Amino acid sequence: MSDGPPELETTSGPQIGRDEWVARAEERAAGPGSGLDRARRWLNRTPQIVLLVGFAAVVALVPVLTSDEYILRVATDTMLYVLLAVGLNVAVGWAGLLDLGYIAFYGFAAYLFAELASPHYGIHWPLWATLPIVIAGTILLGFLLALPSRRVSGDYLAIVTLFFGQIFVTLTIQGYKWDWLGFGAAHDITGGPTGLTQIDPWRIFGHELTQVRDYLWAALGGFVIVALALTFANHSRTGRAWRALRDDPLAAEVMSMPVKRMMLLAVAVGAGVAGLAGAINGAYYQGVFPSSFGFPTLITVYAMVILGGAGSLPGVVAGAVLVNVLLEVLRTPDHARWVFYVLIIAGLVAKIRPWRVLAALVGGLVAFGLVVNAIVGAVWPRGTAGPISTGVSAFTEHGWLAEALRHWLVLPKNTYELANYQVGNYAFVILIGLVLALTAVRGRRRYLLLVPTIWTAAFVWETRLVEEAPTTRPLLLGAILIVLMATRPQGLLGTPRVEIV
Amino acid sequence: MLAILGFAFYDWHYFFGQLVDGLTHGSLYALLALGYTMVYGILKLLNFAHGDVYMLGAYMGYVVLTGLGGSLAPEVPTPMLIILMFGAAMLGCALLGVVIERFAYRPLRKAPRIAPLISALGVSFFLQQTAVLLFRPIPKSYDTYSLHGGQLFHHVSLGNLRIQYAQILVIASAVGLMIALALLVWRTNIGKAMRATSYDLEAASMMGIDVDRVIAFTFFVGSALAGAAGVMTGLVYQNIQPYMGFGAGLKAFTAAVVGGIGSIPGAMLGGMIIGVAEQFTIGYLSSAFQDLITLSVLIVFMMFRPTGILGTPIPQKA
Amino acid sequence: MALLELTSVSKAFGGLLVIHDLDLHVGEGEIVSVIGPNGAGKTTLFNLITGIYPPDSGQIMLDGRSIVGLDPHEITNLGVARTFQSLRLFLNMTVKENVMAAQYGRTRARVWQSMLRTPFARREEKEIHKLAEERLAFFGERLMGYRWDQQAYSLSYANRRRLEIARATATRPRILLLDEPAAGMNPHETHEMTELIGRLRSEGGYTILVIEHDMHVVEGISDRVIALDYGEKIAEGSFEHVATNPRVVEAYLGSARLARK
Repeated sequence: MSDGPPELETTSGPQIGRDEWVARAEERAAGPGSGLDRARRWLNRTPQIVLLVGFAAVVALVPVLTSDEYILRVATDTMLYVLLAVGLNVAVGWAGLLDLGYIAFYGFAAYLFAELASPHYGIHWPLWATLPIVIAGTILLGFLLALPSRRVSGDYLAIVTLFFGQIFVTLTIQGYKWDWLGFGAAHDITGGPTGLTQIDPWRIFGHELTQVRDYLWAALGGFVIVALALTFANHSRTGRAWRALRDDPLAAEVMSMPVKRMMLLAVAVGAGVAGLAGAINGAYYQGVFPSSFGFPTLITVYAMVILGGAGSLPGVVAGAVLVNVLLEVLRTPDHARWVFYVLIIAGLVAKIRPWRVLAALVGGLVAFGLVVNAIVGAVWPRGTAGPISTGVSAFTEHGWLAEALRHWLVLPKNTYELANYQVGNYAFVILIGLVLALTAVRGRRRYLLLVPTIWTAAFVWETRLVEEAPTTRPLLLGAILIVLMATRPQGLLGTPRVEIV
Repeated sequence: MLAILGFAFYDWHYFFGQLVDGLTHGSLYALLALGYTMVYGILKLLNFAHGDVYMLGAYMGYVVLTGLGGSLAPEVPTPMLIILMFGAAMLGCALLGVVIERFAYRPLRKAPRIAPLISALGVSFFLQQTAVLLFRPIPKSYDTYSLHGGQLFHHVSLGNLRIQYAQILVIASAVGLMIALALLVWRTNIGKAMRATSYDLEAASMMGIDVDRVIAFTFFVGSALAGAAGVMTGLVYQNIQPYMGFGAGLKAFTAAVVGGIGSIPGAMLGGMIIGVAEQFTIGYLSSAFQDLITLSVLIVFMMFRPTGILGTPIPQKA
Repeated sequence: MALLELTSVSKAFGGLLVIHDLDLHVGEGEIVSVIGPNGAGKTTLFNLITGIYPPDSGQIMLDGRSIVGLDPHEITNLGVARTFQSLRLFLNMTVKENVMAAQYGRTRARVWQSMLRTPFARREEKEIHKLAEERLAFFGERLMGYRWDQQAYSLSYANRRRLEIARATATRPRILLLDEPAAGMNPHETHEMTELIGRLRSEGGYTILVIEHDMHVVEGISDRVIALDYGEKIAEGSFEHVATNPRVVEAYLGSARLARK
């Protein structure tokens, strides 16, 4: 670090400390005064307990307001993700450690719960016994896994935990023929690829949790307890040590904090939360399956924490809700279309100034599509004969939006047949090239490039992505991580960090 | 060690076969490990996406193969075909690596240490899903058994020990690439710049070395090696699929750690060690344990020799 | 008996001998300055004492007890605290939190106690707050009031140096190691720092070992001065004695000549 120029400080008068240095730092911290930053400051000012009570009240009322099974299921899934995100935040957001075994902890807990409360071994222990065992076991696993990575930098922790995450899935898949290296008969521990099913429901004070809404409340209750405990921990010597180690591990060590032990503790506390979530998971889905605990789930939870703002509890909660709702919307092509086009238009309106440029851009966009459509239609009539595939309302075959899109995009007849995949493939590669080029050019060229980029995006969207949610959803998660890191690493509601000044 | 010697005497042919299989696999790990170790040496970045570049390399080779008529009836002579596949995959991956560095890592050069790691995670996942989108999740086969009457898989006999041509091809070209890399790093100006940058990035930039160019070049070379490894995988093991890069990447990174992260000879050595260790696990224990063995090796090294076999400890700056 | 005592300590990096056969002692209540040209091994000396790296040979005793081989946080808990020449604050934590964090080794609440807010944890937390405020108050108005809740990165350079000292004293040390406390300060602030170091001993009761380049500061505070060059002690004694020592003059002039070249 360089010795910055020595700053003079005004030593008297009421404006103490309002020196240029501070002003600049504040400016940096404030960033452009966007709505998000105002929201962040508002969230920081509001006592966490008020936010927590408010959030809990809203979620608790969901089952009262609706009995729609689908909404309740989405809400419960979301609450589970919220719980997971809050736990991951301990290692990632506070201690600044890349804990990539987190979902394996979650899976371990779910499987452990399943072993202790299902017909698999005929064990049906009560919740007051299984829950502490599951949580304690998961914490222990976290400890053990973080133990080997003794380098302060944390890179080794990332690789060991990632490796463990990978092996965990393999072991659960192969665990139905466990034979102790050939010493002993093959033995089914995990149920293999089909997992373990018929897991006992939770039973609290004699009341069996059988309804979806019961688990929504259970997850919410777990979240409230965890959020309170973690907030208290964050404002204790332990939490300060975590954040200190994130800022400067060496200084933290010299300032009396046992850095290696703090790393272990951060991973273990996170694992404990994953343990609770895992125990809920097993009972709620009444089954545990290897595929639920793989790399995609890990990326999902990371995207939630990073998008919301690592280090800020309200941020990661918001991130989890936002990402899960978004992923849910993508399942239905019709909803996905609305989100896609509304986001594009909203993005343009919000980002493009002045109005004249915006108008020119939209005009150019419309003209570009119509021209391309006309050219392709003249050369190859079948090329523009395709319908918008499925959907209801405005996007149906003769809905007005569908008609508009048909004349703007180039949708070949039988868009969704295998032979046409190739076209979508090329378009996808071209789209990525265009997006990358967009980040590299400035000024007027950027506007010029924006037109074909948006058109190609819409083309790829309609010919491939909208119908292939299982691929589109993870693609989106990967893109969220990359784009956020490059543009807004503090996430939507996180506080921007200063590394070296 | 003794146990392995015991196995060796017990059935020498089987042992030799396992060893050659292990070295074949190890060559692939070594090529991949080089990319990890070079990038880590310079940027201290765990490039999670490297394994997925390798995977896309395998697909690039596949695209060339099918584009030229497939294994059964290629439009060009077999050696030409194989050279074209290597060329396309190496060049394609090299460019891909440079693009990834330029757009996903370079903007984060001054960011908190965790930021490029998360970006790398995102890139890895994005590439994986791109492959799913472009090539479908079901495995594709190089089907090199049909190539040239399956001659790749015929055996050469050394006394009564047998090696497949394909294995010779892989081991020999891997060794050739490594020699080329060694010459590049130790004998050329850009190689000197790479070593200087990896020794001290800031000092190198003050000495007038264009650090951005050196880093881009490092990605170029490392990714080209990954592309070659991808094609080799297809040639020898036939099946390629979008998730193959993930596990291979983890093991290659382990190889880099075992050899000594940042050390180029270390990566080669580590790759061979991991390849052979895995093959012996498969051959003498059970394939269920190959990942566990590698993880155990990784953990043992981290705990007892974090600098690896050939690595040197880095003094902490205070 | 000396509070801190180094006996024939050596440290090399690669082939480079940075500290060579160094003997050094600091008595209870003393203020000792270490001077020497750049690269003389002064900061390495601090790193060896605080356990950031172990010495290759030699012994380091704190109050009659060997501290060689202990982790830095253990050494801090035995009563050694330091500041960094390059300033290593926890930039994204508030001013007050920086000082609170450094009390980790002096507090006992377990993480589960903090999570449950047990009476013990709450009591201890109150004490942490109190001590932090007390330590910050040591610097007059400079680190008080609204500054408590500002992030450390928003502080001016001089205030960062002050906060580092406040943070170091929050570990409740017996001996304070200050690495160039006046670097980058203007003459007025430098003068203030000189007074402050005196007050740290008289009011805080700390024994102080300080690295400093500013000879006015060294003259103003030191009971004893030690001059290092190429990792060896070349002079020791009162300021006048050391400042006029021909080897010291030679070392400084030599390095000045080198620098000009």
